[in-house]
Amino acid sequence: MNQKTMTFLLFGSFLFLTANSRASSDVSLAEVDFDHSVENIKSGAQVAMDVCRLCHEFKYIKYRNLLEIGFNKDEVDVLRGDMPLNTSILSTTKPEIASKLFGMMPPDLSLMAKARRGGARYIYTLLTSYSMDAEEHVDNKLFPGIKMPDPFAYAIRTDDVRQKELDQRIENVSVFLQWTSDPKAKERRRTGYYVIAYLIVLTFLFYLLKRKVWRTLK
Amino acid sequence: MSKLLNWVDARFPLSEFVKQDLTGYPTPRNLSYWWNFGFLAGFVLVLQVVSGLFLAMHYKPDASLAFESIEHIMREVNYGWLIRYIHSTGASAFFAVIFIHMARTLYYGSYRAPRELMWWTGQGLLLLLMATAFFGYLLPWGQMSYWGAQVITNLFRATPFFGDEIVIWLRGGFSIGDATLTRFFVLHYFFPFLIIGLVLIHLVALHTVKSSNPSGINLAAKDNIPFHPYFTAKDLYGLGVFLIVFCFFVFFSPEFFIEADNNIPANPLKTPAHIVPEWYFLPFYAILRSIPDLLGGVVAMGLSVVIFAAMPFLDRSHIPGGARYRPVYRILFYIFVLDFAVLTYVGAVPPSGSLVVIGQVATFIYFALFALLPFISKAEEKWLCKRGLPAEVEELLKSKSSPDKFNCPL
Ligand code: HEC
Repeated sequence: MNQKTMTFLLFGSFLFLTANSRASSDVSLAEVDFDHSVENIKSGAQVAMDVCRLCHEFKYIKYRNLLEIGFNKDEVDVLRGDMPLNTSILSTTKPEIASKLFGMMPPDLSLMAKARRGGARYIYTLLTSYSMDAEEHVDNKLFPGIKMPDPFAYAIRTDDVRQKELDQRIENVSVFLQWTSDPKAKERRRTGYYVIAYLIVLTFLFYLLKRKVWRTLK
Repeated sequence: MSKLLNWVDARFPLSEFVKQDLTGYPTPRNLSYWWNFGFLAGFVLVLQVVSGLFLAMHYKPDASLAFESIEHIMREVNYGWLIRYIHSTGASAFFAVIFIHMARTLYYGSYRAPRELMWWTGQGLLLLLMATAFFGYLLPWGQMSYWGAQVITNLFRATPFFGDEIVIWLRGGFSIGDATLTRFFVLHYFFPFLIIGLVLIHLVALHTVKSSNPSGINLAAKDNIPFHPYFTAKDLYGLGVFLIVFCFFVFFSPEFFIEADNNIPANPLKTPAHIVPEWYFLPFYAILRSIPDLLGGVVAMGLSVVIFAAMPFLDRSHIPGGARYRPVYRILFYIFVLDFAVLTYVGAVPPSGSLVVIGQVATFIYFALFALLPFISKAEEKWLCKRGLPAEVEELLKSKSSPDKFNCPL
């Protein structure tokens, strides 16, 4: 075996082992092909404001940020009530009451997608994992014993149409939470394409320069 | 312009410095791309210092504000996300570059005479880099920051007699807290000054002994070429390739190097299910965990990092040249790299039955390689002498102007 192959294999195995050790353990999550369009983010936000905000806060998202995902001023005004535009979106239930109800503070959701391996997939899987056993006891397969009551009553869905509708709403919420955790993602990727394209051209020029310079060497 | 230059030159050896140490600096013509990584390490150092400076303008080293200030940087500060992701990805890039730089040195025997001081200052830089990274990792004040620091500072409990006192002294309290965060911030800001100082010493030593080269044998003067334009062009090309990979992570997968748990604010009451250090500490962490006894584990882990410094003593072969001309040493090198990879893997996953054993075997192999090197290198020397040196080595040594001399048998 020649040395180049050897080096390649070794560093390859190194990368493989390292990457593998990090990627493990989200195998049990649902495979969803998320549609991260602004419309979906917006409908997800609507669901989040109607349902999740009852218990959860969105600490790092301010009402004015909603304007970035297609809400207009009037819609935001309805949501914020008499809260200033530049305040974090807090839960509609007072923290003391929520913690009394659940024995804990429901966690902030705005960073949730980043705080769990799998991101949006984790949230989607969590919310679709509620089921009812023979004794009509509802539990969550992904997070057994979770203190969050089934927010969409997913466990008692009745028919396929209802399930489809719920799946779509949950998908939208997951996409919204992905956005709240990383609102700059789109801008970042767009910048990234330009940066990488620029670097490829630049590197190619450097390569030509290097060849030209070294050709003068006897 | 030239008048100004003359004025300066009469008072400071500027032109002379530029000519001797930058443009005209004699460099072996046969350097491969593995020699780009020293320059890249310097580049990443600058990148970290600059991005870190801007982060420090917005960051708040206060336990009640730190986590939020990071989110503030990510969301409100103009291009804050870019600066922060450059810095967090830069830490990983730094270690990746340094590990490759070290692997190159080990493979080509660049640690051997007369470059021992380069190797030892390099070892010092590795330690400083590790310390800086460790301090920096606490600053985002996430769960993994907190518990990682808790676990690592706790290791000092193994110190005989004063264990508990030292741990409290390091943390500035009974557990990691605001006092720890403030001091880690100060140290994280301060250590790069030490790094820059030691890098300068590293470079002064380099310019005294000059670069090694893939043959591992010092070349005759005629085989050296000026650094500029040959290696400036080559380094720029290497930098371009590096930046493409680096920017791929910064723009498209910036959270790859950040544990999900670190996006949860530090909570002293809730231990994460699985505490893992950053990937660059994993091999050493695996060694720590492989030894059932705390003190033993800490000693083994410390030793596994500083043992590199012993290489110039452990390698007793007198035959000039790197692994390219030393088949046995080459095999040891490859075993070492593979072993390092296995340890990285073992360090990343929760310890369980067979993995514990694999970790212990890998730890044993890690130290055995160093321990056996003196004997193996001596035996290899004898064997190579009997068999005859490779023609290429003979030729390089015979060429009258090579500074290296060697005759078999000794
Ligand atoms: C009735 C109150 C309530 C509502 C409504 C609610 N949650 Fe929760 N949620 C909780 C509580 C309580 C927890 C903490 C559960 C625990 O840790 O056991 C929680 C936890 C979570 C978690 C974290 C699970 C984990 O891995 O720790 C996610 C994600 C989550 N909720 C998402 C949502 C979403 C999305 C919605 C809106 C569709 C929502 N929740 C609506 C009460 C609620």
